[in-house]
This record gives sequence, C-alpha cells and structure tokens, in this order.
Amino acid sequence: MDKSYRDLFFAESTEYLKDVNKHLVSLEKNPHDDEAINNIFRLMHTLKGMAATMRFVDIAEVAHKLEDAFDSFRTKKIELTPAVMDIVFSVIDIFTVLVEDAKEERESKVDVDACIKSIESILPGSGIVIQGKSAQSVTTKVDQLSAASITQYKTEGKSVLHIEVSFVKTCAMRSVRAFLVLNRVRDLAILLKVSPSEANLKNEDLEGNLELIVATVNDKQKIKSEIEKIYEVEKANITDFEAPTAEKIIRKDVGMSTMKKIQSMRIPVERLDKIMNLMGELSIAKSRLLQISQAKEYGQLDTISSFMGRLVSSLQDEALKLRLLPISFVLDNFPRMVRDLSRQMGKDIEMEIAGSDIELDRAILDEIGDPMMHLIRNSIDHGIESPAERLAAKKPREGKIAIKVFREKGHIIIEISDDGKGVDANKVLEKARKNGIITAEEGKDFDKAKVLDILTMPGFSTKEEVTDISGRGVGLDVVRTKLDMLGGRLEMDTQQGKGTTFVLTLPLTLAIIKAMLVGLGKELYAIPLMNIRETVKLSVSDIKMVKDMEVIRLRDEIIPVVRLAKELGTVESYADDDQLSVVIVEGRAKSMGFIVDKVISEQDVVVKPLGAFLKRVKGITGATILGDGRVVLILDVVNVK
Amino acid sequence: MAKKVLVVDDALFMRNLIKSILTKNGYEVCAEGANALEGVELYKKFKPDLVTLDIVMPKMEELDGISAVKNIMALDQKANIVVVSALAERRLVEEALSYGAKDFVVKPFTAEKLLEVVHRVLGDGV
Repeated sequence: MDKSYRDLFFAESTEYLKDVNKHLVSLEKNPHDDEAINNIFRLMHTLKGMAATMRFVDIAEVAHKLEDAFDSFRTKKIELTPAVMDIVFSVIDIFTVLVEDAKEERESKVDVDACIKSIESILPGSGIVIQGKSAQSVTTKVDQLSAASITQYKTEGKSVLHIEVSFVKTCAMRSVRAFLVLNRVRDLAILLKVSPSEANLKNEDLEGNLELIVATVNDKQKIKSEIEKIYEVEKANITDFEAPTAEKIIRKDVGMSTMKKIQSMRIPVERLDKIMNLMGELSIAKSRLLQISQAKEYGQLDTISSFMGRLVSSLQDEALKLRLLPISFVLDNFPRMVRDLSRQMGKDIEMEIAGSDIELDRAILDEIGDPMMHLIRNSIDHGIESPAERLAAKKPREGKIAIKVFREKGHIIIEISDDGKGVDANKVLEKARKNGIITAEEGKDFDKAKVLDILTMPGFSTKEEVTDISGRGVGLDVVRTKLDMLGGRLEMDTQQGKGTTFVLTLPLTLAIIKAMLVGLGKELYAIPLMNIRETVKLSVSDIKMVKDMEVIRLRDEIIPVVRLAKELGTVESYADDDQLSVVIVEGRAKSMGFIVDKVISEQDVVVKPLGAFLKRVKGITGATILGDGRVVLILDVVNVK
Repeated sequence: MAKKVLVVDDALFMRNLIKSILTKNGYEVCAEGANALEGVELYKKFKPDLVTLDIVMPKMEELDGISAVKNIMALDQKANIVVVSALAERRLVEEALSYGAKDFVVKPFTAEKLLEVVHRVLGDGV
C-alpha cells in the first residue's frame, strides 16, 4: 500500500480515536447520551472500513466488534453499566495501542483474541463461557484484559485471587517446582495469569517468586494448604485480586507522556482555492509588468506595484492561515487524561472546555500541549483536594478544572483554572528561603503576586517536599521556559482555599509578531510587543544609583535600567541633558527598563530565524527585513541582560 | 506393613544409595531396575507404592526415562513416580511431570530431601 495512504490512515485514525475518547468521557458521565453513542458507533464504522482497506486485519476486527457493541448500546440491547464502560475504555486503549503498533510497524504485543473475547463478553447472548481446563489456553493468555473477564468471573460467583508462591532457598529447578504448583492449582482453579509466563518458565529457570491470578470457587485456605503441600514451597500468599483498570496496565505513564507532534494536517479546500486564485492574479500582474517594461510605459509602474503589493500581502495572509489549526487539536486529549488521572488519584474532577474552535499556529500548537498538560496535571495532583477534604471545606465533592481559550488584542489567551486549595504563598516563601533560592531579605519584599516567579525558578521545583507542602511547583520552570520561547507569558492567580488560575498568553503566530522598532545610533532593533509593558520618557538625571546598579523610579516602583547600546556593544549617542526613551519590559522576576535612543514605531514584522551559526547568540531571537530592505535584529529582551 | 518402593537407575551406586536411605527409614525396596525396560516390567510384577526413576538412562529397546514414565502411567494411573535427575535436565523433568510423574529430586540430594519428597508423595505426613 502506498505510503501516503498509510500516513493518511494513521493521521485520520488518531484523530478519530481522540474523538472517540472525548465522546466516551461524556458518555461515562451520562450513559444515556445517545448522541455520543451514535458518534462512537459511526467512528468505529469508519475506522473499520479504513483499516480493512489498509488490510490491518486486527484493527479492523476489533473495530468491527466495537461497532457491534455500540450498535447494541444504540438499540438498547445492552445497558451501559459502569462495568461495561470499564471494558469499553480498556478495549479502546488496546485499540489505540494496536494502531500505534501498526504505525510504528512493530509486532504488536496485544492479544487480539482476548480483546475480542472481552468485547464479546458484553454482547448479548455471548457471555464468556469458560469452564474447566479447555479454556485455559485462552485465559492464561489474558493479560491486559483481565479486567473484563474478572468482572465476568465475579458475576459467576467465583472469587479472583492473587497467589504469590515462594520457594525455599535451596530449591533446585524452581521452574519445575513452579510447574508442579501450576498443576496442583489447575485442579482447584482456573488460571488467569501466570507470571513469569508458562513459556518463560519453560525457557529459563525461575529466580524469584511465582505469581498467579486465578478464578476459583474454592476458598483461600484450601488452595494455600494444597500449594504448601508441595515440596520446597516455602509459602503461598493468597489475597483477593483487585481488578486492574486498564489505565494501570496500559496507561501507567498517563499524563507523563508527551503530546505527539502534528505531522500532517487537513486544510480546507476553500483556503487552498483562495491561494490558487491569488497566485493566478499574481501571474497576470507579472505579465502586465513584462508588458510595461517592453513598451517602456514606466508611468504605469505605480499602479502595478500597488496592485502587486496588495496581492502579495493577501497571499501572505492566506499562507499563514494554512498553518492554523483549531486548539481542539490539543484540548481534545485532556478530558480523557483528566478522567484517567483523577480516577488514579481517587478524585472526582469535572472538566470544562470553552473556546476549542479558536485557531492557532501549528508551530505553537505543537509546543503548547506539554506545558498545558503539565499545568493540568499539577491541578489534579496538587490543586484539587480529595473528595473528603473538599466536603470538609464545604466545597462540592466534584472538583473542577476549566480551560478557557479566547482571543484578545492579537493574542491567544489560555486560562487553566481549578477550584482546588490554591497556593499557600507563605509556605512557598518560607521554603524558597530555606532552600536558598531567595535570601531572607528578598523574601520580605516579595509580595504574593511574585509567588509564581519563585515557583518557576529553576531549582525550586526539584525539591520533593516543597511540592508536598506548597502543592505546586512541579516543573513550572519548564512551563515558563517554554512560554518564553514561544514569545508568550505565564501568569498565575491563586486564592488560598478557592483555587488557582494559570493564564497563558500566546502570540497568534510565530511567523509574524507585533514589535516595537527602536533606534540605537544608526541601528534599528525590534522588541516584541508581547514583552513590553510601557515606554516612558525620562531625563538622564532621573537615573539613580542603588549599590552599583542604575535604577529609575516609576510611580512607586524601582526599576533597574540597562543601557541597551552598552549591552549590545554599539555607540551611545545621547548627551546628558537628553530626554531618554526607556522601554519597560516584563522580565522574569522583575520589570526592567531598556534605555534606547529613540522609539520609532510599532509594526508587524515577519520573523526569520537566524542561521544555525547564530542560534546561540544571547539576547537575539531572530531577524526581520523591513520594507526598505534593511535587516533588523529582534531582541530577546528577557535574556538580554 | 512397610510401603514398597521400586528403584530404577542405571548406576549401581545410585541404586544402592537410594535403597539404603529408604530401607533405613522404614520402606521396603522390593526391586531394582537398571534400565527403563526393566523398570516397566518390574512395575507390572510388583505393583510398588512408589517408583524412583532416573530420567536419563541408556535406551533399551527404544525405551528411555520419559517413555518409562508414560508406560508406567499407562499401566497404572495412580502410579507414584518420583523422578531423579541432574540439574541440567530441567526440560526432561518437566516433560516427565507433564506425563504424570508426581515429584522430582535433583542430584546430588541429601537423605532428608529424598525422604521428604517420598513422604509427601505417599502422603505419609511431613
């Protein structure tokens, strides 16, 4: 099969699975959500057809069974009980693994038979019938899916036990002993899982203990004494086996995993048509230009150049739009993640998302998923309290995480808020002082608004006990660094006992930014508007010395200033009685003023990355070309000093 | 009455060792076989309560240790066979157990080990 079809298949199926998960989460909340059921049914139907076309037999078969299952939910032949829901979730997970495996072209470890069996177990008239030894070949294979069959065994009145058998130290041929144990247990119970597997026991000798999961009608004591009758068995430990949820088996790393980069994207035909149209007009303009030059009708040049100028800028606009994708691309991953994580932590969390149709530059989307996941994980881990704590605090049992995305003044704002316990500013300060991140003196000046700055200081978050007390700080410096890189901003608003809101401010696109042009001697530089708080005019005498630092007083704030020309190694050109232009920039922990010769104008600049050999120049993020052909460096003001 | 044990081993030394351990502890070694064929024949004749069977023996008329297990089990479904083996023969032991042998001892073994296994197989208390 053609590679491009393959790529398309995987791109689409990944999207569909994301949709399936989204619908599943809402279905779990409301089992009567017919629309969600219909949607999943349809998605599975499509996936089945796609997989069959690509000859991914296993994927097609599992999709087919899932389609059957959802058909039965649709026609109300089966009720969507929580137990059934669990099975569906785990099968979808396995399905996802199957698709991933096919994509990576690796042999899948997924037991498709067992997977299908577990779907069949919920279909009408085909409950798992497992009796005696005949079914062992199937049941011993059950791995990821034990959750499904366990539910089944329990309904049959069997108990599911975990048995750990240890052998005496002097035991020779442990695996053969283990084999005897298995034979003995087989007479008393159905083996669901053997670890190490029987195949492994055959291939190499056992070193540690033997672990079994069995379903049985016999009681624990009887099985224990039977096993301990076997020579060289030291002890058999038997406990009730808790059904592992799929997330324990497959999604162990949920929330820790990183978001996948977007590899291909779908573009509305309409947008492509617009571009083609503009290209057409541009070539007409080109012929016209040729005509003019041949006929030497130079008087026409004005008209044609303004016409072409308009065309080119529309073309640029359209081309930029090609890179836009709705943020739902990232957001759709979160409801499932929140569900899984909150279950894992024994918390009840409801997720609300607004503004998922806002479009963002693909390059930003690629980068923003991980930091967002980080913040959400933080909220689940540390922000939202356990149901008991919440009830004690007279809050609703169910915690809430809300993501709100909207546009504001040429920026995209993402708000991630929780209604958890908030950050205890005093504890953060105290800890930071203890860890030597800030001095005791500094601690006094820090107002609560600056808590985030401490939290995002590298080194603060690495201390485990800090996160326990403050409830925040896990890798927040990473989040902040990422946002800085994207030319964005991170802000936090927290109220103890009420919750925390993180606000991420992002540029619409990375390709074009709004920037302030400033002059230094003969040179021009661009400062991203995103970083600028304000510009002020001062006279040189307003600069005061504190210790060995130059500072200015702006309203009630003391702001250190930097002579940009000196910093960049160009010539200062102002005299002492000059009025100074100072650009006030929001820095990491404090605002900072940059003294420039003049502030010229605000304009959109197209960011051109610098070549690899200039990548590491401190304080410069890129360059742009002005209309007159001049090259202007774009300053990374946060890191200039 | 003392329980009867059949000892099958191609090495005279091993037969003597096993015999002396068992007789000193109240068992009667009713017969000794030096190969698989003899083992099966003697089983038919004596119907012992237990057989110790060396799993690696030279073939005699196409019969080896494993086939001895199979044949004895075919004669008597309740036969108590204890396989005697060296450490390297794990797979053979497994095979023997899968055909119905009850337990095994690994050479070299101590008197206590052998007795323990025999006790357990015969249900003579621990």
